[in-house]
Amino acid sequence: MAHLWRRLRMLFGGARFDRELDEEMRLHLELRAEEAAARGLPPDEAQAAARRRFGNPTALRERSRDAWGWRWLDDLARDLRYGLRALRRGPGFAFVVVLTLALGIGANTAILSVVDAVLLRPLPYAAPDRLVVLLHDGHNPVAPANFLDWRAQAASFQQMAAAEYWTPNLAGVDRPEQVDALRLTADMWPLLGVAPALGRTFTADETRPGAPPVVVLTWQGWQRRFAGSPDVLGRSVELDGVRHTIVGVMPRDFQFAPFWVTRAELFAPLSLAERANRRKGNSLRVFARLRDGTTLAQARGEIARITARLEQSFPGTNGGVQVVPLTDKVVGDLRPALLVLLGAAAFVLLACCANIAHMLLARAQARRREVLLRVALGATRGRIVRQFLAESLLLTIGGGLAGIALGGWGIDLLLALHPSDLPPIAHIAVDHTVLGVMIGVSLAAGIGFGLVPALHATSGDVHGGLKDGGRATTDGAARGTLRGLFVVTQLALALPLLVGAGLMIRSFVHLMSIDPGFRSDGVVALEVSVTATPEAAPGRRADFYRELVQRTAALPDVRAASAINHLPLAGDEWGLELEVEGRPPPPPDRAEVATFRAVLPGYFDTLRVPLLRGRDVAAADTLDTLPVVVVNARLAERIWPGEDPIGKRIGGTFFDGQRRWLTVVGVVADVRQGKWERRPRAEIYLPVRQVRQYLEDPSSHFSYLTIVARGDGDRGALLTSIRGLVRELSPNATVSGATTMSDVVDEATAQPRFYVVLLAVFAALALVLAAVGIYGVMSYTVSRRTHEIGVRMALGAQPREVLRLVVGRAMVHTAIGAAVGLAASLALGRLMSSLLFGVSAADPLTLGAVTVLLALVAALAAIIPARRASRIAPTEALRTD
Amino acid sequence: MSERSARAEIPPGTLTLLILRTLARSGEQHGFEIANAIEKLSEAVLRVEEGSLYPALQRMLVQGWVTARWGHTAAGRRARYYQLTAAGKKELAAELSQFERVTTAIARVLAPA
Repeated sequence: MAHLWRRLRMLFGGARFDRELDEEMRLHLELRAEEAAARGLPPDEAQAAARRRFGNPTALRERSRDAWGWRWLDDLARDLRYGLRALRRGPGFAFVVVLTLALGIGANTAILSVVDAVLLRPLPYAAPDRLVVLLHDGHNPVAPANFLDWRAQAASFQQMAAAEYWTPNLAGVDRPEQVDALRLTADMWPLLGVAPALGRTFTADETRPGAPPVVVLTWQGWQRRFAGSPDVLGRSVELDGVRHTIVGVMPRDFQFAPFWVTRAELFAPLSLAERANRRKGNSLRVFARLRDGTTLAQARGEIARITARLEQSFPGTNGGVQVVPLTDKVVGDLRPALLVLLGAAAFVLLACCANIAHMLLARAQARRREVLLRVALGATRGRIVRQFLAESLLLTIGGGLAGIALGGWGIDLLLALHPSDLPPIAHIAVDHTVLGVMIGVSLAAGIGFGLVPALHATSGDVHGGLKDGGRATTDGAARGTLRGLFVVTQLALALPLLVGAGLMIRSFVHLMSIDPGFRSDGVVALEVSVTATPEAAPGRRADFYRELVQRTAALPDVRAASAINHLPLAGDEWGLELEVEGRPPPPPDRAEVATFRAVLPGYFDTLRVPLLRGRDVAAADTLDTLPVVVVNARLAERIWPGEDPIGKRIGGTFFDGQRRWLTVVGVVADVRQGKWERRPRAEIYLPVRQVRQYLEDPSSHFSYLTIVARGDGDRGALLTSIRGLVRELSPNATVSGATTMSDVVDEATAQPRFYVVLLAVFAALALVLAAVGIYGVMSYTVSRRTHEIGVRMALGAQPREVLRLVVGRAMVHTAIGAAVGLAASLALGRLMSSLLFGVSAADPLTLGAVTVLLALVAALAAIIPARRASRIAPTEALRTD
Repeated sequence: MSERSARAEIPPGTLTLLILRTLARSGEQHGFEIANAIEKLSEAVLRVEEGSLYPALQRMLVQGWVTARWGHTAAGRRARYYQLTAAGKKELAAELSQFERVTTAIARVLAPA
């Protein structure tokens, strides 16, 4: 250790080392000379004698330096300096190589970092591979009574806990605001196994009704609401008008829930006592930790038995319960997309490497004469190989560093393009693993690309080569094959990328041609919640919203305004079971389920949803008049195919368990509901004034509506005006989710758009690389064959024949490359199919178009140098080397 | 080249051994003094190239057998003084015993039976 330390000190004190050594040697020489002078020698003879006796100072100095074992470093520095000089002579070449590699490494750094963060890094909980989620059909929430029964009966789990979404109004910190929160049963904490950073989590006692309300903050919530103040414990926050004491803060890396409500700022106790017998009102997400020694299959078997038993006792409540590993649930949807992107990035890198390999090989070939000369002058083969290596390492390390920088920027771009699609990991950055991999790739590329051409260039007979003038009269067959292989590789790599991008683009065009059923232009929306304000009182609430809508409609530039409980595509989606009058009630799991919406009059007009039959809901529809409903075309078609649905009645229990019959008064066109690409399901629109919960229920999910308005003016200004109106009418009402309908549509299509953009960028990159690569190979081939071409033309060959000769060979390679690429595309297509919409992974149109495009590019890249060759005067061609 | 021929005459490592020994006796010396001391002990070692003392000293610095500091000679000139370290003393002892083993072995071979 001390040994290395001394050596390093010497290394970094290099100049001082030399100075001191020189001084020491000088003193020696002087003393020796003085000694001789004292014996009577004349001064110059004395000095000469001293020097003779001392030896060669330069050699001694070098041996002294060598003693420290840094000789190789000096050599390396010299090689690098020489390499830099060589590259400066051809800066264009260096630039192209560095840029090519930077693009490849950059793309891979960005994608790999995201994949590493999303797919490879474990979730931030203790032993996350033992965690599972229990949901109906793998994604639908669970009713309280079912959760309690499962928890009581299942033995496979160490803990089972439930979480419920909660959006309380947060008052008392700044302006009232709606925040994302989760209510958790107390055993969620031991289940997750993460200790709080400050204070404590809550206990089972605190989930009982009547217990003093407490809350645990996330690190982010703590920073945002309390600026990370250390004395936050014991302070309180007012949530929905109730003071909650802060008992703990979770650590910075903690994030829950991982697949939904991903931005919760606080956690409160979930009390199920009042709902313990409810098998409807599915609002819980159930998490569980497998008991040690229990397998997933055993747990699944047990849950299947328990739910089957419960289903018998309570039909229609326990169907399709799935036990899914939490990690699968979180990354399952993203995995195919990220793997496709990862594959695409890897293909780009390979294409880059193929290009660089060819460029360096061609360069080495071109320098063969220089190499031979140096060998003839006594340079060893090792010396020259080291020189080549230094040069290629310079290039690839430069490219690698530029690529990593580019990649860091690429990550930001990736996240900016689509932040909400990725699980909110604290932050995604180039991490050490990725950095290591990329540096490794750069070094491997440098060594590989340096070594092969170096060995190639230094092989063979030196004297023969020099006598020949270093000129290849005709091109060796082996080298021709090697270059052909480059063309084939380029095409085989580029084609799958282009096919992938083509498929995504086709799929995207299909997606964008979907008619959402409404017109988004000019429409703004914002949620206005009156939870825990005086306006929430029965009798005042409906008037508040009616007043707000009327005043909004009266704003200048506003054409129409109304309100709905949940905005399509952006808002919640509640399913309700329906009965049809005059038909026997279906078995519970076969009942018609419709998406429930509550609207104020004018909603359809505001979003320009076509009213196909009958009328809109009206201000006159109240609790005291005939209960009415507007249905969508799909519901009408499913229940009353070929009949006029107006005047027909559907029944259901609307939140209070009492069956009521609603008379259909209107039919509207289908509107896309939760997901853009999913076909709309049956949907019912009830007048807000006929749903008692929206008039009286104080809980937060019934005491807000989304105001929608369509206008001609600036949409930001319109939203500001509406906020002003809300403040005037109710100072404590909270506004959230202000958006434009166009943004809602953009957000709903953001995921496919993201993949299209990325794949298109990769494909464009691959196309350029292929074009440049093929052009490079072709022009190099032609330049090597100029002499041969000159001979042919001198012997009477026509330019057209020369052209055919050169281009023909390129097209054979192109055909082979395209065939390999097509096969790869078909094989890789399976990976993509889950990302595609309305187009098959083996879409012949895409495959055909891409192949033709690539063939054209290849032909063009071959024809340009070929034409140049065919125009050369034979005399000139024969003179060149 | 010159180093090789110098070494051909005397066993390798002798120079190091002599430097260690000189420093062990004198405590602290600069290069010129060491060279003179060695000359007194063995004219052969430094005959060809007196300067080869310096690479040898550097190798010993790397090994940690000696340390160096800058000081002034009696005549007031700046000089680098070398001193044995504990490791250097141990090395000297080891080399001496090794040397003795070899010479004893050689003596035994050469001794009449």
